[in-house]
Amino acid sequence: MSLPKISLPSVRLLSSIHHHQQQLLLPSTSPLTGPKRAVSQGEYRRPGQPKVDKFPWQPINFGFSKGFDGVKKHLALLKKEFSDRWVGPQGKPILEHMLEQNQVLWEFRGPESLEQWTVSSDQEIGGQSEVHLKLGKNQNTCLLYGTLSSTPPRDGETRYSGYCTMRSKQPLASFDRKKHYDWSSFNTLHLRVRGDGRPWMINIATETYFSHQKDDIYNYFLYTRGGPYWQDVKIPFSKFFITHRGRIQDDQHPLWLDKVNTIGFTLGDKADGPFQLEIDFVGVCKDYAHTEEFAYEVYKRNPEI
Amino acid sequence: MNPYILATLLFGLGLGTTITFASSHWLLAWMGLEINTLAIIPLMAQHHHPRAVEATTKYFLTQATAAAMLLFASTTNAWLTGQWDIQQMSHPLPITLITLALALKIGLAPVHSWLPEVLQGLDLTTGLILSTWQKLAPFALLLQLQPANSTILIILGLTSTLVGGWGGLNQTQLRKILAYSSIAHLGWMILVLQFSPSLTLLTLLTYLIMTSSTFLVFKLNKSTNINMLATSWAKAPALTALTPLILLSLGGLPPLTGFMPKWLILQELAKQDLAPTATLAAMSALLSLYFYLRLSYAMALTMSPNNLTGMTPWRLQSSQLTLPLAISTMATLLLLPLTPAAVALLTL
Repeated sequence: MSLPKISLPSVRLLSSIHHHQQQLLLPSTSPLTGPKRAVSQGEYRRPGQPKVDKFPWQPINFGFSKGFDGVKKHLALLKKEFSDRWVGPQGKPILEHMLEQNQVLWEFRGPESLEQWTVSSDQEIGGQSEVHLKLGKNQNTCLLYGTLSSTPPRDGETRYSGYCTMRSKQPLASFDRKKHYDWSSFNTLHLRVRGDGRPWMINIATETYFSHQKDDIYNYFLYTRGGPYWQDVKIPFSKFFITHRGRIQDDQHPLWLDKVNTIGFTLGDKADGPFQLEIDFVGVCKDYAHTEEFAYEVYKRNPEI
Repeated sequence: MNPYILATLLFGLGLGTTITFASSHWLLAWMGLEINTLAIIPLMAQHHHPRAVEATTKYFLTQATAAAMLLFASTTNAWLTGQWDIQQMSHPLPITLITLALALKIGLAPVHSWLPEVLQGLDLTTGLILSTWQKLAPFALLLQLQPANSTILIILGLTSTLVGGWGGLNQTQLRKILAYSSIAHLGWMILVLQFSPSLTLLTLLTYLIMTSSTFLVFKLNKSTNINMLATSWAKAPALTALTPLILLSLGGLPPLTGFMPKWLILQELAKQDLAPTATLAAMSALLSLYFYLRLSYAMALTMSPNNLTGMTPWRLQSSQLTLPLAISTMATLLLLPLTPAAVALLTL
């Protein structure tokens, strides 16, 4: 016994079914018009998740030229890695490495410097804050600006909201392997910022091993003073405390500087309204007068009986 | 750490190695190695820093893998030959497996990648124990194996010397430099294992003395990277003058003790008609010498920018015990004239 043939209904029939569907709330029977949300996202789309109206393979560029450019870029990075080895540690001669007391890591002198940073806000969970990053006047600084809004998204479980953040991208070696910053010759973070008086948080993420340490970040505060004058902020790395997903941990450890991944700035001070942060450069320096190893709780907290 | 716990763990370390030394049955030897691993794990993780825990986990995984391979190989040998005696292994398959398992235990190339990361996550004292004491038990087993696998030992040895040289070239972290130096020295030890086990033992003992000196020097200066080492002239000027000699001894230059094993190994390899191997090993020692020289340069031949108006710390006595450092430094620098006595003493 043969199976009954299934033929595609005609276009007019499809549109009439669609029209009736809107009136009668029947499930759609028109195939191949695009991925239905029910199939790819489930019945409920969380606030903040983008609406899916393409098949998963449609945004991917399968072009040959893109692949060729990618291979060229990675081979160039690989060649640079090999040639840097001949020069010295991290591509600098050893004398330069030894004599270095200040190093500027990020300075915003052109549009390509903005490519190294990622901005995000609570729009990812459905909130209403906005954040943008652009180059400042004369292409000398970067300006992180936007609006905070602490209205929580209406998904029934989020109680608080209202944050914006800017995070540097993880440095990558050839073929998208992770590279780390080695700041072990330095002991202070040096920033030149011009804020608007709001309290920011600086987050430094180091390389971790276990999956439950993925959100371990070392934090410290950045109190901006507002006004037209620039602010030089020097924060020793011994002051950074460890948090996990924003919660300060009981078991504190000093920040190890030999494998730093990213640095970021977060604003979440529960004050709705516009904000601005202008950054001139982010660098590290060595303060010989600072001999503290760790600022928090190094004595034994639970002495044995 | 609670002194009772510390005493128990150190006793366990000693017990594990001693059991392996004294065993002629493979299961007892494996047991000694496991006791060693288990005893050092809490010592490594005692500071609970995420990096220390990471180093401990990586160490445990590699050592457990090696122990499992060892157990499997000795069981295979018992199945094939009917006995568990360490010195009576005759079948090539278990011998190869055991060689690879012990290579993983001590960190020979190409199974060396765990060693720099693990040493980097530890403090200098535990790193010292890992680099010195933990090598004794696996070598006790390697020295007793019948040499039935000449090619693999030469490959392990040459790869280790080359990897140890190239890997350490651009490091600025001292613990990683010492890890790569350890890999290179282990390569030299394995090269000559099948021809003259007494030379392997001699190399091991001189390596232990030299590495202990280096670790103790770094511990006294509380330095973990090259830049911290550069300010040691203000803290301990006499030691800053001697440390380049210790490092050159690690590099194998005459008239220091480190030359003794390299000279005797090259002589033995030449006698065994392995002149290209000997040449390659000697050239790769140059790579290691480069980074030892760089450390000496940074420490003693340059005066780094520092806080000149600060207090000169050398007027204050260090609270660390300096007797072990004094003894090992003297042994590292002055034992070359005793070569004939050493060779006679260690002929197995």
